[in-house]
Amino acid sequence: MTGTDRSRRHSMAGPVRDVWITLLVWSYFTAGFVALFLPFYLLALILESNREKAFQRLNCSFYQGFFYLVRRLIPTCRWRIDPAIARVRGSVVVCNHVSYLDPILLISLFARHRTVVKNRLFAIPLFGRMLALSGYLPATADGRFGGLMIERIASMPGFLKNGGNLFIFPEGTRSRNRRIGRFSTGAFKIARNCKAPITVLYVQNTDRLFAPGKFSFNTREPNTVCLDVVDRIAPDDPRYDLPLDDLMEDVRTRLVSFKRP
Amino acid sequence: MTREELEKAILAVFRERFEIENPGLDENLREEHEFDSIDAIELLREIELLLGSELSRDEKKKAMEIRTINQILDYVMALEKGTVR
Repeated sequence: MTGTDRSRRHSMAGPVRDVWITLLVWSYFTAGFVALFLPFYLLALILESNREKAFQRLNCSFYQGFFYLVRRLIPTCRWRIDPAIARVRGSVVVCNHVSYLDPILLISLFARHRTVVKNRLFAIPLFGRMLALSGYLPATADGRFGGLMIERIASMPGFLKNGGNLFIFPEGTRSRNRRIGRFSTGAFKIARNCKAPITVLYVQNTDRLFAPGKFSFNTREPNTVCLDVVDRIAPDDPRYDLPLDDLMEDVRTRLVSFKRP
Repeated sequence: MTREELEKAILAVFRERFEIENPGLDENLREEHEFDSIDAIELLREIELLLGSELSRDEKKKAMEIRTINQILDYVMALEKGTVR
């Protein structure tokens, strides 16, 4: 074998490894879900009086399993999760958004959580039903989602008061250039209507591990995924009562200027 | 409550609760003032206070399609007459 052949084979091995590990990880989503979690979801559906709570805990456990697998299979990626996140309770959590991994990372960190999901996902058979049973909110109240939105918003003060966290990506979509985009007002309005604290998180490098528009995980490049608490704005903080645009700008500025200690 | 009195009350709610000053009566609130479904639900609470009665789920769902102040006024007037379907 010539040096050129060896070099070509070596350069092929990396992408093949990416695809192989990606297939393993995604098979957890299908076969793993059916074999390990579906029976518990069915039991929760039949037996649990508080299905929303049970489904949220199961979702959390399922994604903890997912990230356990990711950590084991991709040792080049290190994880730095701010320990303060484990203590966040009863808060509206806002975070920047760079990868599909971000929402499931947050689900894996909060046993009691709600989040906002695109309306079209609620229309997917079984999966959409699971989202609804998990207490998640539709992104808009158009058409048949009006009733669901009304019910979710009405029950939100109690959910937050009992220690649940509502996490929202106020940019609405993933940033493709790592810049923090324009914020939607929803998260901030809900927080103020419920008089709940706002916890601001900053996620970094999930997009290097799983880039938008790519099929495979990047399993070879050394990387450190970080998730930090940037700020917490309690209802008695003077900023909490700023005009909504000013409050959002304050949060956005803190995210833009955040430097990891 | 007359339509004029109601208009005053609704505009006061928009000013105090939603930080929206003097919206045009036929302006699309969603497009012009980012008045979204969360605001709409909050507005329904204020309407319940104004009317002194709770709205039914169907009455609330009907309100999700409202886009202008005039439509809000029509909606509340219809509620008072008991003709919201």
